[in-house]
Amino acid sequence: MRFRIYRLDPETQARPSWREYDVRLEATDRKVLDALERIRTTLDDSLAYRRSCREGVCGSDAMNINGRNALACITPLEGLSEPITLAPLPGFPVIRDLIVDMTQFFAHYHEIRPYLITDEPPPERERLQTPEERAKLDGLYECILCACCSGFCPSYWWNPDKFIGPAGLLQAERFIVDSRDRATAERLAFLDDVYKLYRCRTIMNCTEVCPKGLSPSRAIEHIKLQQLRRST
Amino acid sequence: MQRAHRPVFLNLARIRFPVGAVASIGHRISGVLLVIALPFAVLALERSLEDGSSLYAFTGWMRLPAAVLAWACAHHIFAGVRHLLMDAGVGASLPAGRASAYAALIAGAAVGLAALLL
Amino acid sequence: MRLFSGQRAFVVQRLSALVLLAFLGGGALRLAFGPPASLDQWQGWVAQPLGAAAVLLFALAVLAHAWVGIRDVVLDYIHPLPLRLTILGLSAIGLALLAAWTTLVLVSHAL
Repeated sequence: MRFRIYRLDPETQARPSWREYDVRLEATDRKVLDALERIRTTLDDSLAYRRSCREGVCGSDAMNINGRNALACITPLEGLSEPITLAPLPGFPVIRDLIVDMTQFFAHYHEIRPYLITDEPPPERERLQTPEERAKLDGLYECILCACCSGFCPSYWWNPDKFIGPAGLLQAERFIVDSRDRATAERLAFLDDVYKLYRCRTIMNCTEVCPKGLSPSRAIEHIKLQQLRRST
Repeated sequence: MQRAHRPVFLNLARIRFPVGAVASIGHRISGVLLVIALPFAVLALERSLEDGSSLYAFTGWMRLPAAVLAWACAHHIFAGVRHLLMDAGVGASLPAGRASAYAALIAGAAVGLAALLL
Repeated sequence: MRLFSGQRAFVVQRLSALVLLAFLGGGALRLAFGPPASLDQWQGWVAQPLGAAAVLLFALAVLAHAWVGIRDVVLDYIHPLPLRLTILGLSAIGLALLAAWTTLVLVSHAL
């Protein structure tokens, strides 16, 4: 199977380049990650990429596959047009080959304070929630912070330092709608900024590529709606 | 720790954009075109209130710019209505968003084509 | 540069869009149910204070909507501060001039 892979070794190259590979796959190689392992072990052991769980829950191997962001370990090889083009997440600083610097991305996550904020003393066992209140977290808590979404968002490409991005905003919404959190007003006020939230133009690229099937665009729309409610 | 400048991968030609992104960049481009056309619009208003001089001269070389402007108007309005509906909660899901993006693109193109041919 | 809250611009953009849609819808209906026979009819309508005010409101909504749009484009793509201020400044002046020109045209016609 033919591949075209983005290569960059900052110690030996000044600029990135594309390397072509024609790898013989075993019958058990079904996903892009399997092919990457096969290339690395049989053709070119200098190829660098992140991977861990190999089952789509850790988010390590997010990359651009034939033009769309996806997790390599759960993207089937079948159906991909050759040469299969693998590139790092768009817009993220490339450390080496398919490995990108996630510092900025995680900084935005920390920025939105991804933890429960409440003055109420902790109860005997747990802070209670009705099933309906818990259901509000569905579609938000499952995010694995793989960055497929933010890496596909043009608004994040143009302003990665100031725009929080779909992943961070989805997590912000996760805590805004959590019934146990008591800092809703502060969270919404923090996001009322021309850059932090309002660079979003509802392009919906994020929802198109989320490997967990989440909808950051819908979460962001809901944040804007709640802000509107609060100000009227 | 000194870190050299790291490149980013942003080769737009190698990125496969979904239909929503196409509709969105069309929305932006049409908006910019309309802003550039604003002085001409005010001029047209002024002319229409004087003695109607050459207001309907959409012949010859004016056909193409007029058709482009017609596309810009139509696409901007259709894509804009799509956004307003999504604000109101209509069509925010992925399948609905894709369908409405196609609808806006096709309708806008149709208006532009009609302006060119008629 | 926290000059404008994000929400304010968002609301202006959406509100002006609704105003514009209302006018365009009304205009389309008016044209469908009996287009003006001659240019004089249009000129007559704009000469009345209500007609002139309607056109002016439409124009102001367009300019407000355009301002938010231009600002979004500049904030997305143009990062160096001097260039950004220049373009935003020129745009603001340009739109203000268009507003003044439109007002002049309408007022001088109504009189």
